[in-house]
Amino acid sequence: MSRSEVLVDADWVEAHSGDPGVVLVEVDEDTSAYDKGHIPGAIKLDWKKDLQDPVRRDFVDRVGFETLLSERGISNDDTVVLYGGNNNWFAAYAYWYFKLYGHQSVKLLDGGRKKWELDSRELTTDVPQRPRTSYRAAEQDPSIRAMRDEVIASIGKRNLVDVRSPDEFAGRLLAPAHLPQEQAQRGGHIPTARNVPWSKAANEDGTFRSDDELRRIYGEEAGLDFSKDTIAYCRIGERSAHTWFVLHELLGQPNVKNYDGSWTEYGSLVGVPIELGDAR
Amino acid sequence: MSAGNPAAAAAGDGCGAPAGGAAVAAATDPGGQAIVEGRVVRGGTPVSAGYARLLGTGDEFVAEVPLGEDGGFRFFAAPGTWTLRVLAPGGARASRSVAAERGKITKVEVSV
Repeated sequence: MSRSEVLVDADWVEAHSGDPGVVLVEVDEDTSAYDKGHIPGAIKLDWKKDLQDPVRRDFVDRVGFETLLSERGISNDDTVVLYGGNNNWFAAYAYWYFKLYGHQSVKLLDGGRKKWELDSRELTTDVPQRPRTSYRAAEQDPSIRAMRDEVIASIGKRNLVDVRSPDEFAGRLLAPAHLPQEQAQRGGHIPTARNVPWSKAANEDGTFRSDDELRRIYGEEAGLDFSKDTIAYCRIGERSAHTWFVLHELLGQPNVKNYDGSWTEYGSLVGVPIELGDAR
Repeated sequence: MSAGNPAAAAAGDGCGAPAGGAAVAAATDPGGQAIVEGRVVRGGTPVSAGYARLLGTGDEFVAEVPLGEDGGFRFFAAPGTWTLRVLAPGGARASRSVAAERGKITKVEVSV
């Protein structure tokens, strides 16, 4: 997988967002951002209302995903270009989610909504109407999603990458610093996990760092053994989807999984080992 | 969750961002949190299109929020000294040091 296959820049979006077979999708936790103004031609997906099961803590099932994409007018052979706020956390999460259900052509807008805004590019409140499709999804691809038992079995054996902030990793905070301190029952991290905050992969404007920089950050600096399989986690799986994208899609590492249960699940499990303190 | 806190309330249980766009109402009760909040202005006018970032030692990224309509932002930080960095269109950037204390709301106004 090369960078040009999975990333597009703002100039590309301005030139191609109206092309047949290209669907621009904004994914934000906060859908009011889309309603206030979005990139012309973009539709929206709500990471929670649209992509999560309303009752169980899990994703919508395959049929639910088919129904969603059919309603939104996305076809199997469309190129889906995702972007969003938060340095593309939720767009990367949606990218991973589309891949989980087997969508072939998915790309991220490098820098997402932030760079678009900082560049003062056009935003609109016009909502496009797309004709309904008959989308068919594949069964979930278990090779890119880790569940808790696999994570526990991976302690000391695989690369575990905790992409939260150092304070969350150490157990001093249970949530990012712009949210109240609540969530999992316990603070800390999974034993043997390396702390490589997601933000190390991004420039200030939200774009991804170069491949050479990323290899240095995850390899030489963080000490990840690229010959081993890797599981990334954060608090609920968005920030770690960003890191999954870096390792699996940009750097082409095979066998990288995102643990979307992440710390809100692991830190509430009974009987599992937890480590406290800063990264060594 | 603190009262009078639309940004955090809208963030729900996500990893991520608070609501963008809406005005960030001033917090009145820190409730044991170490809150850093304020607004960004340009020539006395609120900057609504932009981002505030909280950076730790060595400018290590900690958190980022989009500015509200009133140029407002809010962070729930750990006690300590942080760098507040603001990004706004037109290449506008500003940084300043802020101290967060538990049970206190630290107010900051940043000009770009």
